[in-house]
Amino acid sequence: MSKIKLNIDGKEIVAPQGQTILQVAGDNGIEIPTMCQDDRISRTTSCFICVVKDTKSGQWLPACSAQAQDGMEIETKTPEVNDMRKTVLELLLSEHTGDCEAPCTISCPAHARVEEYVRAGRDGELLKALKIAKERIPLPMSIGRVCPRFCEKDCRRNVLDNAGVAINDFKRLSADLYYEDYMENRKDLTGEKVAIIGSGPGGLAAAYFLRLEGVSSTIFEKMPEPGGMLRYGIPEYRLPKNILDKELAHFEKMGGIEIVCNKELGGELDLNQLKKEYDAVIIAVGSWQSSGMRTEGEELAAGGINWLEDLARNGWQGEDPGETIVVGGGNTAMDCVRSALRLTKKPVHCMYRRTEKEMPAEQIEIDEAREEGANFNFLTQPIKLRREDDKLVLECLRMELGEPDASGRRRPVPVEGSEFEVKADTVIAAIGQSTLAPEGINTNKWGDVEVGEKDCRVTENIFAAGDCVSGPATVVEAVAGGRRAAIGILAYLKGEECLFPYKINVSRGHWQSLSSEDLTFLFEPGEKGRVKQRLIDLDERVNTFNEVSYTFTEDEIAEEGKRCIECSCTAKKDCNLKDCSESYHADPEKFLGEKGHAGYNSQHPHIIMDNGKCIKCGVCVKICSEVVNEYLLGFKNRGFETKVETAFDRPLPEYCTECGKCVEACPVGALDWKKKED
Amino acid sequence: MIKRVKVGMASCGIAAGAGEVLELLKEITDEDKVVEVGCIGHCYAEPLVEIETDSGNYMYEKVQPEKEMLEQMLSLADSSRFQPNPKRIDKEELLITSLAGKIEPTSLEEYRANEGYEGLEKAKRMGKDKIIEEVKTSKLRGRGGGGFPTGIKWSFLASKDNENKVLICNADEGDPGAFMDRTLMESLPHQVLEGMLIGALATDAYKLFIYCRAEYPLAVRNLNIAIQQAVEVGLNIIGGKPVEIKVKEGAGAFVCGEETALIHSLEGKRGTPRYRPPYPTDHGFLGYPTAINNVETFANIPLIIREGGDSFEKTGTDNSKGTKLFALAGDLNYSGLVEVPMGITIGEVVYDIGGAEPGSVKAVQIGGPSGGCITAEYFDTPIDYDSLTSLGAMMGSGGLIVVGTNRCMVETARYFLEFTTRESCGKCTFCRIGTKRMVENLERITGGEGTPEDINVLKDLGKKIKQGSLCGLGQTAPNPVLSTLNYFYNEYLAHVEEGYCAAMECKALVDVFINKEECIECKQCIKNCPVDCISEGYVIDNNLCTRCNSCIEVCPKDAITRVAKGGVVRVENQT
Amino acid sequence: MSSVAQVEKSNLIKALQTRQQQDGYISDEAIENIAEEFNLPLVDVEGVVSFYTQFKRVAPGKYQIMVCDGTACHIIGSTLILNWLTDALGIMDGETDEDGLFSLECVACLGCCSLAPVISVNGKIYGKLDRKKLLKIINSFKKKEAAGA
Repeated sequence: MSKIKLNIDGKEIVAPQGQTILQVAGDNGIEIPTMCQDDRISRTTSCFICVVKDTKSGQWLPACSAQAQDGMEIETKTPEVNDMRKTVLELLLSEHTGDCEAPCTISCPAHARVEEYVRAGRDGELLKALKIAKERIPLPMSIGRVCPRFCEKDCRRNVLDNAGVAINDFKRLSADLYYEDYMENRKDLTGEKVAIIGSGPGGLAAAYFLRLEGVSSTIFEKMPEPGGMLRYGIPEYRLPKNILDKELAHFEKMGGIEIVCNKELGGELDLNQLKKEYDAVIIAVGSWQSSGMRTEGEELAAGGINWLEDLARNGWQGEDPGETIVVGGGNTAMDCVRSALRLTKKPVHCMYRRTEKEMPAEQIEIDEAREEGANFNFLTQPIKLRREDDKLVLECLRMELGEPDASGRRRPVPVEGSEFEVKADTVIAAIGQSTLAPEGINTNKWGDVEVGEKDCRVTENIFAAGDCVSGPATVVEAVAGGRRAAIGILAYLKGEECLFPYKINVSRGHWQSLSSEDLTFLFEPGEKGRVKQRLIDLDERVNTFNEVSYTFTEDEIAEEGKRCIECSCTAKKDCNLKDCSESYHADPEKFLGEKGHAGYNSQHPHIIMDNGKCIKCGVCVKICSEVVNEYLLGFKNRGFETKVETAFDRPLPEYCTECGKCVEACPVGALDWKKKED
Repeated sequence: MIKRVKVGMASCGIAAGAGEVLELLKEITDEDKVVEVGCIGHCYAEPLVEIETDSGNYMYEKVQPEKEMLEQMLSLADSSRFQPNPKRIDKEELLITSLAGKIEPTSLEEYRANEGYEGLEKAKRMGKDKIIEEVKTSKLRGRGGGGFPTGIKWSFLASKDNENKVLICNADEGDPGAFMDRTLMESLPHQVLEGMLIGALATDAYKLFIYCRAEYPLAVRNLNIAIQQAVEVGLNIIGGKPVEIKVKEGAGAFVCGEETALIHSLEGKRGTPRYRPPYPTDHGFLGYPTAINNVETFANIPLIIREGGDSFEKTGTDNSKGTKLFALAGDLNYSGLVEVPMGITIGEVVYDIGGAEPGSVKAVQIGGPSGGCITAEYFDTPIDYDSLTSLGAMMGSGGLIVVGTNRCMVETARYFLEFTTRESCGKCTFCRIGTKRMVENLERITGGEGTPEDINVLKDLGKKIKQGSLCGLGQTAPNPVLSTLNYFYNEYLAHVEEGYCAAMECKALVDVFINKEECIECKQCIKNCPVDCISEGYVIDNNLCTRCNSCIEVCPKDAITRVAKGGVVRVENQT
Repeated sequence: MSSVAQVEKSNLIKALQTRQQQDGYISDEAIENIAEEFNLPLVDVEGVVSFYTQFKRVAPGKYQIMVCDGTACHIIGSTLILNWLTDALGIMDGETDEDGLFSLECVACLGCCSLAPVISVNGKIYGKLDRKKLLKIINSFKKKEAAGA
């Protein structure tokens, strides 16, 4: 056979005549991406991801089909070629309908593989559920109790019955059952050592993820006992401290994590010293400074978080605070209100300057506080606090809502002449908290520690994580921050730059913008509503600090698991479109427009055909006709309306389960096995 | 003495009412003398009737099926005489349509009486090599749009050693506003057929197809009659072997004008193109060597053979020889089909032949939906393959749409692109999704919601669609947008930045306004408003108004107009 | 590969056209019959039918109205024609009304550019339309039907 000479990416190549550019490039170690190409079938030449440029003729050629010809000068990797491919991908993504990842996982700050642990829980495999949860959440017992459940708010189940799957309870049960039995695989200790200042969730998570990679750590805690906000900020009735103790014991069991209490930065600890003694230092001191009311006499009020801290130090037994006013509308305010209710028979009031709708506290906390007898005074602003005899007198103003402010919430404005006074024995200002950054550490305009966006590094070998970086936030966010700092340190220790790979997530959108017709159901979703959380008696609630809620039973979890509609893509682990899009940095939102034919067919017991994901490459059509000789699939319509379907949209025959060649060949999740792998 | 009464019965004539005229004529005069002829290309004057007498021929225009008028006409009265625009007569050069509208399309005798099939006879004497030489000498280039030299294409097919060679006549004229091929097939089916038979002779192809739009029933009918007539007298016997000729009707897919798509369609498949090479001359219909030429290309062949390639080569420019048919439409006085020599300027076609008022024309769109627009300042450009391409347009098959100064170029581009988007076969990513995204983008702009970024995306995506599509449809689809972006960038900008459509065409950017000074309060507008948005006080509620123009149409005083959104209201407020 | 079978297959479009001429549209049953006749997979025949705009998958109305959206008609206002018809008939492009009386379809070009704007009703061309003329045509059909019923 005669030979031809051509140049690919500057490389002179001699190749046999009659080969495609793709073949020649491949034989010479030059990789060109493909999606619609499959050696078993005739060419489809449809997707154009393999496009290359022949600079000799100025032509753009699909490498999968264009024959290599003598004298060609092919470019496969120039910015221009990459840009062309990126556009191909962005066009395909612009009509791609699906969810690469489930919204629960996306909205979880720690990006735990929620759908996977929920499925394991549903199937009764609770140890497996725990293992999956712990990949990202090292404090499943605590978080299983106190998490504000970002995942459930975005859960697609809401589309069907306005109630997300009770996801957090899967963590809680699986941890309650197996936490102490399960020990994760850890790499051997490398000898590297990190000092972590603060044993709250941020510091603990950092220690955990460092330990998994073989890096040991010493956690320094200024308080007498470890746990930070978990121990001194979250009341006992939400997170019993014996549970926390169990959870913390595990860290010591992992080997290589040491927790040293009663050591405070600026006291026995010197940052410069630590910097030298350890390979790296993580500042995870939290956000413990109560904000004042900024009114005359504010010093007469207790700071919310400090009041809780005192209570915690006292083993959740305190003096009767008498009639109490808690100023503020956040979760700390609710913790104060509900704790006060447990300590006194006198009225407890929550005073908030906007309305219930604007309260930052979790609705469930507000509801449970109300059940426990709290009074709410909305649209009320304290302006002055003074002591009169043995009472505190709070001067207030009535407010009304005006125009939205920067946060998007309507700004409260005073109603003229509406001044009034209320009396109380105790006033607690739970307005907010701020960070008290260690001396010499750079802070941002909110007073939080300033860190590098990717590596969480403050300076040199000092890193930071948790509330002291983000400002007061949730336990799960602190855990996520701790993990990021650990990743930053691991890269730093290796002398590498901390790079997060470019990831895409195609989404159908938030559930509030969707109806059930917009979703794809692999199986009929369970019809039952959300399992009701059982609580201890109200009487017990208001008189003790006993844990308010019960852990779900295994039956309840199995039942609740059926409500999950498993919205993530069946092909999320082997999607050619996603892989290519990520390597070419394609933006799924680049071209907005009609998505075209959605619609799917899940009547076959094991195979789903999802048109919304199809890239119309036709590989399945040709596999079925040219390889299998079955002729079950074909193109219908044309142009933008083109789709691949069966005759009269009938379900695929059951015998397709035995073959599955089209499923295996599909570059995306348009034809896929229904059963997902974990 | 009246010899014959010829009624123009091509599609345009029939649509204008020629059928009724024909019926009535047959009633009131000697039925045998009334004959149906094709189209002379003056569509604006249809129905046209020509009366042949001993003392010459008389043409009548806009003939109505009214006895009185017909009788007057038959008495050769002066009224309603057809007076074609003299400038047109001067500029046109009727080489291939000289018989159109003059002879009975389905009369083999009449065609033969006018040198018909002499080319074929001559070709038989010449032999295949000399035919191809002659066609090469003529420098005839494909009239379907691509402009590939016909002689070379034939030589490819002729060189194949295969007894099942196929020759196809592409008559899938799908451009909206183009009807060159239809006219040829309806009016001169034998001429097309003769060209094909010469092609068969030159290439040894014994299987001939005419792939015709199903929307052209008259063309299909006339072709089938012509084929039958030719076969009956053995005109299809070449080298002692019969050539098989079949008319195949398309089923509505513009993309089937692309040769590989056309072949798939002929094979009974979905009309999706495939990657070339292999070219059809290597691997065509059912895998056999196949050549495809356009109707107009074939219609040129008898003349070339009869008169010689040298003679043909004298008309036209260096790279573009002969004449070209154009379907003129849009904002001009004389729409219709014209045949002009290559090299004539656009201006001559638009102003002299089309009768458009100088100053009233903004641009022409040449080459159909996949062509590009050329602005009036370039109207002295000669019409030939290369000049048009260099201006970002193309010869295409011959659609020539005149765009008046009162049209919005963004909307015009959107219209063309929407057409190609609908006609995309859906195979290549760039064309399938890219054109759709461009249309949506243009819809945002004409809808008053465009951004400057939308314009950038149009440019970038348009370029990439051209580069990354397999067939001519995708490779040219963005042309109308890219060329208007090039020449009318300010119109795009005005839509995007000021929400202003100078042509008052984009609904979202206009209000409808009743000028009270002109209004005579006749209630016509109120009665005709489909959404009842005009008050008793003759004020239009522009929030309800759908900009349907019903009121504008019925207003006897032209007191109602479209104005820039908010425009007149602002003026009113100031006074 | 048998070329005889392929040659036959090339008549598929003709067969579908013939069937549509008989029935007015291509039913599922027609697809099944023709697939069997040509020994073709159902999905292939369905694919061909759905590719070409000529083939209708639903029964058309008694009066099939085509609105020309060719360039000449478009420029002169076919969009308005379509809007007026949509208002008058209560159906959108590509639909047939509930009584099976009218169906409406926007088509690329009816080839009567000099008469723009044009529509055709059951093949008969109506040209140089304005709103009044158009509504008169539609009303004449409506009246005819009302009288017949």
